[in-house]
Amino acid sequence: MELLRTEGVSLREKMTLFWHNHFAVSDIQDPKYIYRHSILLRSFAWGNFRELIKQVTIDPSMLRFLNGGQNTASAPNENYARELLELFTIGKGPLAGPGDYTNYTEQDVVQMARVLTGWRDRGFNTTNPDQDVTSVFLAGQHDNGVKQLSPRFNNVQISNMGNQEYAHLVDLIFQQDEVARFISRKLYRWFVYYIIDDNAEANVIQPMAQLLIENDYEIKPILEALLGSAHFYDILNVGPMIKNPIDFSISALKQLEVAFPPALAQRYTLHFRIFQAIIPMEMEYYNPPSVAGWKAYYQQPQFYRVWINATTLQSRMGYTNLLAGDGVGQGQLRARIDPLHAITLLPDPFDPNAVIDGFAKLLFPQPITDSQKIALKEVLLPGLPDYEWTVEYAAYEANPSDQNLADAVAVKLRNLLQVMLSMPEFYLS
Amino acid sequence: MKRRQFIKAAGTAVSVPLLLNGMRVSAMPRSFLSRIVNPESDRVLVLIQLNGGNDGLNMVVPMDQYDNLANVRGNILLPESSILSIEDTVGLHPVMTGIRSLYDEGKMGIVQSVGYPNQNRSHFRSSDIWTSGSPAEEVWTTGWLGRYFEGLYPAYPDGYPNSEYPDPFAITMGSIVSETCQGTASNFSLTLNDPFSLAPLTEGSPSDLPDTPYGEELAFLRLSISQANAYGDVITDAAQNGSNMAAYPEDNRLAAQLKNVALLMAGGLQTRVYVVSLGGFDTHANQVAQGDVTTGEHAELLQTLSDAVAAFQTDLQMLGLEQRVVCMTFSEFGRRIRSNDSFGTDHGTAAPLLLFGSCVNPAILGDNPEISTDVSGDEGLPMQHDFRDVYGSLLMDWFEVNEDDVRSLLYNDFQYLPLLLNCTATSTRPEPKSEEAILMGAYPNPCSNWTTISFTTADEWAKLSLFDSIGNELRVVTNQRLSAGEHKIQVDLHGLPPGTYFFRLQLQGRQKTKRVVKN
Repeated sequence: MELLRTEGVSLREKMTLFWHNHFAVSDIQDPKYIYRHSILLRSFAWGNFRELIKQVTIDPSMLRFLNGGQNTASAPNENYARELLELFTIGKGPLAGPGDYTNYTEQDVVQMARVLTGWRDRGFNTTNPDQDVTSVFLAGQHDNGVKQLSPRFNNVQISNMGNQEYAHLVDLIFQQDEVARFISRKLYRWFVYYIIDDNAEANVIQPMAQLLIENDYEIKPILEALLGSAHFYDILNVGPMIKNPIDFSISALKQLEVAFPPALAQRYTLHFRIFQAIIPMEMEYYNPPSVAGWKAYYQQPQFYRVWINATTLQSRMGYTNLLAGDGVGQGQLRARIDPLHAITLLPDPFDPNAVIDGFAKLLFPQPITDSQKIALKEVLLPGLPDYEWTVEYAAYEANPSDQNLADAVAVKLRNLLQVMLSMPEFYLS
Repeated sequence: MKRRQFIKAAGTAVSVPLLLNGMRVSAMPRSFLSRIVNPESDRVLVLIQLNGGNDGLNMVVPMDQYDNLANVRGNILLPESSILSIEDTVGLHPVMTGIRSLYDEGKMGIVQSVGYPNQNRSHFRSSDIWTSGSPAEEVWTTGWLGRYFEGLYPAYPDGYPNSEYPDPFAITMGSIVSETCQGTASNFSLTLNDPFSLAPLTEGSPSDLPDTPYGEELAFLRLSISQANAYGDVITDAAQNGSNMAAYPEDNRLAAQLKNVALLMAGGLQTRVYVVSLGGFDTHANQVAQGDVTTGEHAELLQTLSDAVAAFQTDLQMLGLEQRVVCMTFSEFGRRIRSNDSFGTDHGTAAPLLLFGSCVNPAILGDNPEISTDVSGDEGLPMQHDFRDVYGSLLMDWFEVNEDDVRSLLYNDFQYLPLLLNCTATSTRPEPKSEEAILMGAYPNPCSNWTTISFTTADEWAKLSLFDSIGNELRVVTNQRLSAGEHKIQVDLHGLPPGTYFFRLQLQGRQKTKRVVKN
């Protein structure tokens, strides 16, 4: 969370969160496992998608999460094999026949589960300092028979390859170009918009998928292409994303440069408080609601709109009200907007109209209307002419150590920011 | 073209549009439905969603199949002596004492083996099918209750709430709206966690919005905020006016939700549908505790369900609201018949569904599933009842929707099931032709390429379908009106691989399945 807050224009943390949503690991009651898993996702932020799938397949957290560790020759558990196809790589197409989902069939799920037999995680909640968290291959639990895939995978047979069989399987899946289209759509929904119309499919998704295949499934080139594209900056596409709760909460901290304490222990605690404040907005790290990730990225027809309802609106506004008011946290340890710092981020702090324009530019994806600006000025300067602000702010600027002058300006700015952060415009990016 | 229209049009292009008698809902005149239903009804439907796929065989145990169950799921099967018997051949999980009492009092009913043809074993897709009421092969983006509400209130959400309808039509307890209530333009349910802590939200100042995705989303946010405020007031009032009378179990996630439902009803809220949920039913591993199979994850979930429902029912009775409420459980699928070596079960097919309330038909509808010791590893329980028949029968008997409209809202092959008893609107309720159980046989069984299905009917319509072991409908064998008497139909199984198959026979108001093995 801190990395997300401080990463500037880098995308590493946004991509790490993307992969977390993609694999949606939850309910792993061992922090060492989670740490290892998140390091893996971060190291592949824009790395090779195929290699990431290979490593996740035998990642200790994933082996526990989708029961891969209980998948044996005598008692196959197909939980991971199913999600590997449906959610992680190729996706489910329309039902084309009994048990046939166009891109794969029930037979493939069963056979791939056999391929993946024999892997175990080691070191769960161990107290032995010499025991690393790791995965091992138990040849005796592996199904050595021939696995027969369906016509959707060209009737390929997979003979026993021991501990390399899983990697071979991932290579086989990635020979299907649908994998590239599937992950391109998911990236588009993460970064651009939830509706993929025919135009976007033809002119964005298909070229992205082609680029991905040409680059051997390296993610970085397609991210650069997507985020540098005219489509991404097209005015029609600016600001149509309802921010997810983490993005919503972090963006307020980031845009207004809310200060955090320098000591690590305090910083940790404060981030933990913010993490807790985000939970009621229905997003919790390492606890997505299901293996499909958060609903906002797949649930038709609502998509991003699932974030918003009567309950989560209360939580969001409660959070921003605190941020602009007394601060989020407990006791002395709080994340609190410093309006006298925030205003120094603006080009012209002396002109109240420029103050409103400046904050609007920092917080909103598109310009607001003149009538909205007038309403906001009523918040900043209730019933007063513009020059009163200029006078007050100049007085403070000339004598910043005068607490009375500072408070007078700060209170007005807090009111303004509280209202601006509660405007629906701030919910969009 | 306006963006919103474009979105709708795009939706129709990629998915099957919602059709009511061939018309899109939005194109229907306002009076549709309202002339044939009674929107002023004070009846309440509470849906209890069991997320993850509930193992029906560990909840409603077919006692006459016990020996065979011991053969195929011995590592998780409850000891015979621990099972709570409710009928000669049907028992409940031992933790379900509260629900057993409801059955004894005539306030609980069971519908056996509910599912749909061509079972999809993905959680997400199957949940979508259950919440939308769509066929497995089609993607519908509206919910089954959303379509019902849309027929009554087609303009929603524009202009709601208003003086005539000040209360939310539906409430989802939790923080995510239920897809069952999704309409074309918006969701008919409001989310609610704590009815006592609703602070007014800042409403955006109205201004013209650009005809872009940004403008669309901004309009959605503004409407959500103003609705939350308007509905927040009536909810706070109801919560303050109402009170619970019964004690609810502590530390029970479901009881906390049902308690608020009773509270809001007691406080006078006129909401028609509440959706509550209990997650954790995806018990691939450790469904039962090793060493004591009567405990474990699934036992805890069933106890949570049973304790919560029993307390809720008691509360409703004490509040004098019992006659107004029917509760129904549902889950995206049942689980496999064979257990796995992880003391769990994988995704399956049909499962029993429970109904609660003083108005339900306190009976077990349908037959115990047939368990054979040679079930394959991927076999689930074959469906006996289509879930849309359950939905439609509730709409008819509880919300007074007529049968033609039910067919439009759900599907053409709708068959009425007698789910409710004393409180139903008799005018809408056709009598089943016969209450007798269907006698159905297959010979030879196991068979090679031919088998003969025999059954007896009254003078009535009969549909016989062939399913494979994972719930796909392979063929409709016959679908016609038959004269009264015994019928024998020879069925050609050439070309089908050896394995297990099911024949499903539908007569008016009655269904039965027969398992056939092809060698």
